[in-house]
Amino acid sequence: MATIKGSRRRALALHATLVVGVLLSAFPFYWAVIMSTHTSSEIFSYPPKLLPGTHFLDNLRHLLDAIDFYGSMANSLLVAGSVTFLVLFFDSLAAFVFAKFPFPGKRFLFASLMIIFMVPAQLAAIPQFVIMAKLGWIGSMTSLIVPAAANAFGIFWMRQYMKSAIHDELLDASRIDGANFLRQYWHVALPVVRPGLAFLGIFTFMGQWNDYAWPLIALTNPDNVTLQVALSQLNGTHGTTDYGMVMTGALLALIPLLIVFAVGARQIIGDLAKGAIK
Amino acid sequence: MATALEKPTVTVESAPAPPPRKGFRAYWHLYAAISPFYLLFICFGLVPVGFSLYLSFHRWDGLGPMEWAGLSQYQYLLGDSDFWSSIGNTIVIWALATFPMIFLAMVTAVLLNSAVRFKNAYRFAYFLPNVTSVVAIAIIFGSVFSTNFGLVNALLQAVGLDQVAWLNTPWGIKVAVATLMTWQWTGYNAIIFLAGLQTIPGELYEAARMDGAGPVQTFFRITLPMMRPVLLFVLVISTVTGLQSFSEPQVLLQNTSNDSTFSGGPGHAGRTMVLYFFQQTFDNNDFGYGAAVAWGIFLVVVLFSIINWRLVQRRGED
Amino acid sequence: MRLSRRGLLRAGLAGTAATALGGLASGCAVPTGSTGRNMVLWYWDGGLGDTVVEKARARYGGTVDLKAIKIGGYYRSKLITTLAGRAHIPDVAGLKGEDMASYLPNADQFVDLRTLGAEKYRSRYLAWKWDQGIADDGSMIGFPIDCGPVAHIYQYDVFRRAGLPYEPDDVSRELDTWEKFFTAGEQLKRRIPGTYLLTDVNSVFENAVQQGGKRYVDRDRHFIGDQEHIRAAWALAVEAKRRGIVSDLVNGTPDQLSALQDGKLPSQLGASWATSDIKNGVPKTKGRWRVADMPVRPANNGGSFLAITKACREPEQAFRIITWMLDAANQAQGYVDAGLFPSTPASYGLRQLREPDEFFGGQVTMDVFGPAAQKIAVAYNSPYDVALGQPIKDEIKNVGVLGKNPDQAWKDAMSTCRRIADHLGVSH
Repeated sequence: MATIKGSRRRALALHATLVVGVLLSAFPFYWAVIMSTHTSSEIFSYPPKLLPGTHFLDNLRHLLDAIDFYGSMANSLLVAGSVTFLVLFFDSLAAFVFAKFPFPGKRFLFASLMIIFMVPAQLAAIPQFVIMAKLGWIGSMTSLIVPAAANAFGIFWMRQYMKSAIHDELLDASRIDGANFLRQYWHVALPVVRPGLAFLGIFTFMGQWNDYAWPLIALTNPDNVTLQVALSQLNGTHGTTDYGMVMTGALLALIPLLIVFAVGARQIIGDLAKGAIK
Repeated sequence: MATALEKPTVTVESAPAPPPRKGFRAYWHLYAAISPFYLLFICFGLVPVGFSLYLSFHRWDGLGPMEWAGLSQYQYLLGDSDFWSSIGNTIVIWALATFPMIFLAMVTAVLLNSAVRFKNAYRFAYFLPNVTSVVAIAIIFGSVFSTNFGLVNALLQAVGLDQVAWLNTPWGIKVAVATLMTWQWTGYNAIIFLAGLQTIPGELYEAARMDGAGPVQTFFRITLPMMRPVLLFVLVISTVTGLQSFSEPQVLLQNTSNDSTFSGGPGHAGRTMVLYFFQQTFDNNDFGYGAAVAWGIFLVVVLFSIINWRLVQRRGED
Repeated sequence: MRLSRRGLLRAGLAGTAATALGGLASGCAVPTGSTGRNMVLWYWDGGLGDTVVEKARARYGGTVDLKAIKIGGYYRSKLITTLAGRAHIPDVAGLKGEDMASYLPNADQFVDLRTLGAEKYRSRYLAWKWDQGIADDGSMIGFPIDCGPVAHIYQYDVFRRAGLPYEPDDVSRELDTWEKFFTAGEQLKRRIPGTYLLTDVNSVFENAVQQGGKRYVDRDRHFIGDQEHIRAAWALAVEAKRRGIVSDLVNGTPDQLSALQDGKLPSQLGASWATSDIKNGVPKTKGRWRVADMPVRPANNGGSFLAITKACREPEQAFRIITWMLDAANQAQGYVDAGLFPSTPASYGLRQLREPDEFFGGQVTMDVFGPAAQKIAVAYNSPYDVALGQPIKDEIKNVGVLGKNPDQAWKDAMSTCRRIADHLGVSH
């Protein structure tokens, strides 16, 4: 009897601790809601507000006047969407080759992939800027999409996934049926690795959506930027004057990823863990 | 259109590789399949990296003509106290973020592992901070750490302590940036740890209990050793990302300076290596020196990778 | 659907090519500079009068779609990066006064305004201001917008409560030296705890430098930031810190605005254009402020220019627009809109400049800024001033904010300056 009581009490303490953690995780979201529903002078006054206010619609109106919020969101969707599509295609194709086929130079090419993986991005940043200036890409979304269209991480990750997920017997069987390389890729490999693609896709999308340093430099046309850059501009221009409005922008910018997460949560959380303990 | 597009495949066939035994013809489709990445890499990776080496031996403002500078950019880099302090800032912020994060993530994972109910709901909630936009969340954290109207200071005052000018003192800045990173990554790593915990066979715990080991002893004698590979994985990833931190300090501190986009706040206390690179390159328009700084950063990253590699190697010997 | 090997490969390659071509196409579709009617103007919040920009758009709307974009953040860096990126370069760009000299070595990025007939406007503008827009080779890249006479902007009620002089004339007369100014700061802090006279030590340092006629590098490309005029300004800033009259807030942050609103920072040494920052930043403080003379003598802080870039396809038209926007009548409007103190003496007599300003309790602010502008000391601005002034400003900030030892800070500043001077080929 006593031990049951004890274990119940322990379970309660356990859940209480976990709930504190959840509250800490969730708190900044709540804080953003509070800030985005007050005017700047309400925010600037002491003590801090702890409950939502009534000025959300005013802040929203100011926000939509100050920046092209929907336009920049569309740009972010365009960039993250096309990069995700291209990465999934190019990376899985290359990964399929590295995972399942022998060919001359394979070891060298794969080893070079690993080295490329480790080169810091800023090493290439200045020349990239100069090259793109020559190509006339600076200021357009192309400067973001093209260099990101395939990456070493994705190839590496998909290769690991494909090695175990695609059975050699299946490939042999399809070869005997007369399927060529692309048919094998399309009809044998892709259906099997769909969960892996989903993870890589969501991962790539979130990464691109959050990309900030390079867009900040490359998107020189202030009227045509991604959401992250627009938010940063907003904070730089109005961060001292119209705080409630800036907070409204920050709050709204969180929503698209939360939707992606809500849809793909199981996939992300599951595969993330799988990748780490392998 | 289609005929014009045949061409790239032909050039791909001559991609560098050791002499083939069967001839490239047999493999051309494989080379074609991996070519997009390598083409992109050559255009936006290899050539730029080579060009940046070339640039680092020049003076160039990006507009006028380039001027040969020999090794002077590197000479200047070696004596540049700002660069060295940016390395220090990066490492301090990384340490302030990483160690509490690993500790909290481990505690959370152990708790989650023993909580039977709502496990999925908890995992969902703890992962949430990681799916936010860094820019947006940095703006939000800026207001949490504000001196005059921020929540942290309001709490300090409520318990009778003095206000801290978080974004205006060197330690305050580093703590604020690190807190943001810890908040964002604790849940993420807790979920990785949780997956690791779930691979530890139950018999081991059973045996420990038979031996009369308490929960703390069990943790240190069984859980921690078994978790070593996962811990190292998390450490390696957080080192690589931590050494290149940029967005958090940039957004958090961008309004503290009128004359730099990448100042890193008062005393440049939040100016990480990558921020310093951007500042030299694009604020000061010094493309030549910027390139030298980038190579400096590269060396630091390589150094840390070697240390990491050593750690992983030792794991193999155990 | 059956996909042939070739078909899918083609699709993949077509995808790559289309992305690349799409990029090229979009690059071509938006060429550097204007397409006939479009004309892009870059400035920053408060850089031009909003009414003036609106009127220009309407007035020239028949021939030009003038698109005025406010750029946030560090303006100079964004403009230079865009010039280097060779795309989306604005046709007309504002250049901040403090950055002006650093644009001069890149004068070839801008249209020489003399070729458009700027010379005939010369007599209508302040001579020293006009000369600052001219590069060493004589080409003129910047057309004068405003200048930045500095005054003492303070909150009437707070000064009154602290037992300090509070009527503008009294403040001007009684706080006319740095010593008296600092003593007033001590009294303020004593009478109303938690209140500081100034935001940071940099406002003392930079204003003291800008009161003089010398900066950091002279015409012979020699470093003079180690000389008496800088040392004196440095000593004043250190003194302000020692007496504890500066806050630990950062200029331009929400925290500072919050303190302005609460009356905890009731005073600042600000240029004419800074009045518009206060009006926009803390509108709730309307009526609480007054303007008086700053201690010792007026300084000049900022004051900017408009330039036409080489990317502009219609430089004549752009020149017509900027000369109109910056004529005496519109400069007077700029003063009303954004506190931009006219560089056209003909504006000074106009009615708009004599209007009482309700934000300043009905004071005619021109009574202070006007005479101040007459007494500005003209300084030579070197292209290297930005690079060699920054270490000193950084170190005095360290003294103010971090409590660094002033002697050590000065030594560090000087050694950094010497290193940078060597790097840039400036003698010392």
